[in-house]
Amino acid sequence: MPYILNTEKDIKEMLEAIGAANFEDLFKHLPREILLKEPLRISSGKDEQETRKIVESLARKNLPLGRFNSFLGAGCYDHYIPAALSYLIGRAEFLTAYTPYQAESSQGSLQTIYEYQSYMCLLTGMDVSNASLFDGASALAESALMSLRITKKKKVIVSSSMHPEYLRVLETYLSGLDFIIKEIPFDAAGLIDIEAFKRALSDDTACLALQSPNFFGLVEDVKMLSALTKQKNALVIMVTNPMSLAILKEPYKCGVDIVCGDGQALGGNVNFGGPSFGFLATRNEFMRQMPGRIVGKTVDCQGKPAYCLTLCAREQHIRREKATSNICSNQSLNAMAAAIYLALMGKEGIKEAALHSMNLAHYLYESLSKINGVKVIFSNTFFNEFIWQVEDAKKIIRKLRKKNIIAGFYMGDAYREFRDCILSCCTEKKSKEDIDDFIAALKGVLNG
Amino acid sequence: MSVLKFSKTHEWAQVENNLATIGITDYAQKSLGDIVFIELPALGSKVKQGLQFGTIESTKAASELFSPLSGVVSEINKELINNPQWVNEEPFVRGWMMKIKFENNNELNSLMDEAAYKEFVKKEAH
Amino acid sequence: MENKVIFEKGKEGRRTRYLTKPEIPLKRADELLPKQFLRENLNLPSLGELDVVRHYTNLSRLNFSVDTNFYPLGSCTMKYNPKVNEALASMEEFTHVHPYQPSTDVQGALELIFNLEQILCEITGMNRFTFQASSGAAGELTGMLMIRKYHAIKKNKKTKVIVPDSAHGTNPATSSMCGYQTVIIESKENGLIDLDKLAKSCDSEVAAIMLTNPNTLGLFEENILKISEIAHKIDALLYYDGANFNPLLGITKPITMGFDAIHLNLHKTFSTPHGCGGPGAGAVGVSLAMSDFLPAPLVDKRGEDFYLNYKIKHSIGRVRSFYGNFNVLIRAYAYLTSLGADGLKRVAQNAVLNAAYIREKLKQYYEPCSILPSMHEVVFSCSRQKARGASALEIAKRLLDYGMHPPTMYFPLIVNEALMVEPTETESKETLDNFIEAMINIDKEISEEIEKVKNAPHTMPVKRVDEVYAARNLNLRWQSPGASF
Repeated sequence: MPYILNTEKDIKEMLEAIGAANFEDLFKHLPREILLKEPLRISSGKDEQETRKIVESLARKNLPLGRFNSFLGAGCYDHYIPAALSYLIGRAEFLTAYTPYQAESSQGSLQTIYEYQSYMCLLTGMDVSNASLFDGASALAESALMSLRITKKKKVIVSSSMHPEYLRVLETYLSGLDFIIKEIPFDAAGLIDIEAFKRALSDDTACLALQSPNFFGLVEDVKMLSALTKQKNALVIMVTNPMSLAILKEPYKCGVDIVCGDGQALGGNVNFGGPSFGFLATRNEFMRQMPGRIVGKTVDCQGKPAYCLTLCAREQHIRREKATSNICSNQSLNAMAAAIYLALMGKEGIKEAALHSMNLAHYLYESLSKINGVKVIFSNTFFNEFIWQVEDAKKIIRKLRKKNIIAGFYMGDAYREFRDCILSCCTEKKSKEDIDDFIAALKGVLNG
Repeated sequence: MSVLKFSKTHEWAQVENNLATIGITDYAQKSLGDIVFIELPALGSKVKQGLQFGTIESTKAASELFSPLSGVVSEINKELINNPQWVNEEPFVRGWMMKIKFENNNELNSLMDEAAYKEFVKKEAH
Repeated sequence: MENKVIFEKGKEGRRTRYLTKPEIPLKRADELLPKQFLRENLNLPSLGELDVVRHYTNLSRLNFSVDTNFYPLGSCTMKYNPKVNEALASMEEFTHVHPYQPSTDVQGALELIFNLEQILCEITGMNRFTFQASSGAAGELTGMLMIRKYHAIKKNKKTKVIVPDSAHGTNPATSSMCGYQTVIIESKENGLIDLDKLAKSCDSEVAAIMLTNPNTLGLFEENILKISEIAHKIDALLYYDGANFNPLLGITKPITMGFDAIHLNLHKTFSTPHGCGGPGAGAVGVSLAMSDFLPAPLVDKRGEDFYLNYKIKHSIGRVRSFYGNFNVLIRAYAYLTSLGADGLKRVAQNAVLNAAYIREKLKQYYEPCSILPSMHEVVFSCSRQKARGASALEIAKRLLDYGMHPPTMYFPLIVNEALMVEPTETESKETLDNFIEAMINIDKEISEEIEKVKNAPHTMPVKRVDEVYAARNLNLRWQSPGASF
């Protein structure tokens, strides 16, 4: 069902008007040898009822988190989302509009994006934010490219306690260019190995890219690392979970130059990993090297406040091969959803979401540490996720899954040294009962 | 005695002794449209004939600024940074961008005088 | 009246409670973490739900959108987004599966990706697809990095990418991100690629030619097979920017035209909503010879089970975390299921018919950019109107007063005073007739009451927005009064 409104009569009239006998006439200037000789070998069209049935049958083969007691995080978090959010962001005027090129007919999306940029500045403490990037990983890659443009240097230092998929994306983005990525290890505490960092840091270092809370959930001493980095006139890029910033110190105050990451935690569903959005905020002095769209507040010709896209000369449609990035479509709707989420939760609500998540995660940490055979390998300086060690971790995960518990992310998939480790996370959706059930089940599995 | 010279990339140079004041032409500002941002070199930095010394942006275009002469930057129009519209309003007066001390008089010969530049623009417009 | 920003609507003490307090003794942040790591204050507004709902509902009403207005924005394919797709994409079984759940828990999601890939392979003739790219530009980057890898493995010395002057800005920008120098080929008077110039530029260091077909002037590159021959003779690959694939659905296939790597914008051709600029999805398809370079993982089938296959021989790596904009893929899959082979061909036919009809009815008023027939979009030059005192921008703004979103303006760059109209197949003859009438009216207004056009729009929430003021007086965020910044 192609959702076409033209009737047979319309089509006839229109073909006549343009002097064509039939549809084939519209394509007669295409070379014959490329025209398909037979119809596409895909199934024929369906009505809505049947379409629904087909897609719903696939949906039914999925087991969503709601069926489990899940402690999965690792860059994708199942926070509580107010009902009003999907209602507002689903409004057709937001959902079915394009990029706000025509300011006069896009004041709604423009003001919402301006509010999003403002929210990101307030959370991170930075001066300026763009209107979104694809995801946390590409935001890191774009930040690194930005630092290379600003410093005109060659080397990106990155900590291996960064989300492993972000590292892979960074490598891919830089693979076609003449730059070096130097990965530095973490120490016994799970934090950036300072000595290794000092050794890697040199005059040709463009930036240190770190994650805090890092992939293991631990909060890094960003201020100290920034001070070190600045000694070589390099920039500090910090990947972070924006939810943690309701509690943690503003990256700006820690000396960070570019803050980026994934915004999924702010009102996004887990969505099998996408869409979410990438954010990027920086200092005023680096504003013109930012990739992506930016909305500015201005006036209309009668002096009334209005909004429009601005700083466009950085972008591909104007600067073409010299643009700061090739990005065109971004993840506006998800970024706008983050602004609306923050508005709904309010100052107290967002602090609560972060604080409840952190408290529950620390309660889980304490509970796990009391179990024989379980070891929490790093300190409790974490936000809402942490690593714990247990013999045959993979098998344990499988056994718990049979009891409808998803214990967390199996660390062995990403780090050879953590083959017996699990990364577990709590959001405010967890309850004491959930955690106690998990602990009881784990004890059962270990003793059985 | 001062001479006004022009480059093919639409910069002008007002030359007096070994000092040249540099800006972009009326034709250049018109084709760029409303100028919103200008980036100029640091005092004391070296510029080279035909090479980039700065950037200029309008709402619809971005362009590099090429120096018509080689030399050392002795002064920049600091006020222009906050008033980029001056380039549109008075490209030859308040819209000047930098002054350079230049040494190579031969470079002057490669530039056009006003009549030649007018002819050049006429051709380029078509 | 000015719409206050959300930050000015807060009131201390006002809130709606969403979260349940956990039944454990709650500790303060400074009891759990060292104080030096904690922030001192959080300056966000406190609001009640009604405040927020009214604020954003009212903001949304300031927008034009496909559901409320005709939106013939060229190159963007603003077709109708069927609501059943939204209903399906918002099912909990899709929105609440985690990317790190074991594959046994997400068989439906994997099967959907698998099926979508099969369908796109048949539609395009390509061998395999990846869905990691979140947009057309990200798709280009993915495709071009694969091309780079192809040459690296063959030890080809390649430094350049050829792009026509009518190309989307993303093409040259992508080529730079891959470390290639961009070579621009001037188009011919009729808007097509100049084969002689192309042949001259095609030396052994050319890695790829990036093309859109129909091109951004809405014209079919009739010499596409010759172009492909020129490219392949020097082992340069042909990249297809699929932004304009809509009019070729069921008509021809990129592989038949000689393309080696392509991307399709699922948010254009396959009707997933644009959401004020995203999320989209760039599905990247490649020929058999290029399949070893795809980003990992791909979805494969073993017996009856679907799984994430990370074993891709020469994979370029990842271009995104997880598996792309999965929720967008659901909508595209539902759309394709609903349309089927017959529906897709009718899409192409009606998309071209609608554009041709507009062109025919307007050509005596506005000058088509080429004598060649238009495909799914028609680019007019408003130079005649400009000579009479009104620019393409002013005409576009005046269209807003007629309740229609303007066409794309000033693109492609090679057409003076360009207006690029893409009606799409989902618009009715009545809507097209209204648009045609509005455009003719505006042309008349230019002669009779030009101020009406020059000062447009008159009926929008704001008058003409001052983009120059915005760029000269940058205000990119709200500041709390008294903040030192």
